[in-house]
Amino acid sequence: MRRTRVAWTVSVIGHAMLLLWGMITFVIKPLEATPMESLAVDVVSDAEFSQITAGVRSAKKTEAPKPLVEKLGDTKPVEELTKTVEKKPEIKTASAEPMPPPPEPRKPDPKPEKSKSEPQKPKAEEKKPDEKKVEEKKPEPAKAETKPEPKADPKPDPIAEALKKAEEQKKQAEEQKKKDEQKKAEEKRKEEQRKKAEEKKRKEEERRKEIAERERQQTFDPSRIAALLDKRDAQRQAATGDTLNQTASLGLPTGRAAMLTQSEIDALRAQIQACWNPPAGAMEGSELIVKVRLMLRQDGSLEADPVLLNRGSHPYFQVAAESALRAIRRCQPYRLPIAKYQIWKDVEVTFDPRDMYRG
Amino acid sequence: MNPADIPSVAASADLSIFTLFWQAHWVVKLVMSGLIACSIWVWAIAIDKFLLYSRTTQAMNKFEQAFWSGQSLEELYRALAAKPNHSMAALFVAAMREWKRSFEGQSRSFAGLQMRIEKVMDVTISREVERLEKRLLVLATVGSASPFVGLFGTVWGIMNSFQSIAASKNTSLAVVAPGIAEALFATAIGLVAAIPATIFYNKFASEVAKHTARLEGFADEFSAILSRQIDERA
Repeated sequence: MRRTRVAWTVSVIGHAMLLLWGMITFVIKPLEATPMESLAVDVVSDAEFSQITAGVRSAKKTEAPKPLVEKLGDTKPVEELTKTVEKKPEIKTASAEPMPPPPEPRKPDPKPEKSKSEPQKPKAEEKKPDEKKVEEKKPEPAKAETKPEPKADPKPDPIAEALKKAEEQKKQAEEQKKKDEQKKAEEKRKEEQRKKAEEKKRKEEERRKEIAERERQQTFDPSRIAALLDKRDAQRQAATGDTLNQTASLGLPTGRAAMLTQSEIDALRAQIQACWNPPAGAMEGSELIVKVRLMLRQDGSLEADPVLLNRGSHPYFQVAAESALRAIRRCQPYRLPIAKYQIWKDVEVTFDPRDMYRG
Repeated sequence: MNPADIPSVAASADLSIFTLFWQAHWVVKLVMSGLIACSIWVWAIAIDKFLLYSRTTQAMNKFEQAFWSGQSLEELYRALAAKPNHSMAALFVAAMREWKRSFEGQSRSFAGLQMRIEKVMDVTISREVERLEKRLLVLATVGSASPFVGLFGTVWGIMNSFQSIAASKNTSLAVVAPGIAEALFATAIGLVAAIPATIFYNKFASEVAKHTARLEGFADEFSAILSRQIDERA
């Protein structure tokens, strides 16, 4: 049939043309994904955030960034816990010098206002040289006697005997004289000590007065009347330090404050654990881990009562926590690097009784 | 597609229609070529039917004009009986032939003439409708089945490309994409074949119904005329 043939040819030709058109126009172009500008996002944890030195972008550049301090911390004198060796006057024995000059009056303590606990210390130190002197003087006459003996022994001589006697008499007289002088010197020294103690007491009183005055000045600040009248409990602790610093610094290049190293934290824990008697039933102790927050003064003593940070459901937990708190109170003051006081003035310590039993 | 020639597939940057077809699995190829053939067939049928219906409508219009022009039915019959006729003309010729046979013979049989004429016209109508409806079913079938055939090709192709991924142990998009693209091509061809088929089927079905109604109307009218003639002569 003519009509059907026409239809078929038209259809085939149409499809062929469509395919041809598709081949020409259906060109695959590579997808051009416009590159997105990437946004760097830092995830800052709570711990990291608290370690960031409080910095403001518009702050002035300073050499050493200071932490923000809103309140002057307690300026307690630092007690030197390790005993330093002090220079003592050289002790000269009688044998070296036949006529010892009367002992020089001891020089006054180089640092009289060093600390409160000093009055006991110098006393103990001062006793020592006396004993030493006495001890060292004892062998002295024997030395003098033994010297001529080896020579005299082979030939006993009346003249020599007489000489010896004379010598002995002379020595005894000398000794007597020396003893008298020593007594005098001791008396003198005691007097000096008394004087010194008095002076120290006076100085201390003066200083106490000064501190009290300063405190009064600090407490009564007319510009802070609103704050003084505010009787609500503080919502947070003011950042304390040795110097007031109201403006935030620019921040460290790393943006990270100095941290206590693990060994320093361990050292603190070791000091506490020395006093700690964990409860006997705390053998299976993963539930008895006690976290405590300590606030320390610069001298290593506790500024406030330690705060228990976690709670446990274990029957022994309360006992363990109490024992830990007791240990903390008992073992103060703690020895920690003074340079990092800003960090360890507020630390968290974790007590794990398993560590104790593990040894 | 073997797992071995995955790299070559990944490497070929041009993904024209021809390469898409050529790199496909043979089952997918078969599906694609079958669907293309279906599309060609559908369009051929559509063009054929379109021509047929337009011509039929034209012929009907012309015949009706001639029929109602007041021309003698004998003359009209003589003019139309010579050449093969379709639709309304065929109906008229069939009815007139039966009429003539009833009158031209020696034994005039008026008794069942009315019934015979109607029967002849019914048969002619059904034959004409059958001619008009011929191969419309192909359109219906292609319209409903080819999406599924295309989908089968796609599923097969994707299955193959996933097997290739498993074999090459490389899940980069460059390895996966060509296989999936050529698999989706099968669905595309299926839809290309199915959409015109469905549209044409609906259009032609309504056209056939229109023609049938027109034929039946003419048949009723003509049978009424003939019946009056029979009653007058009897």
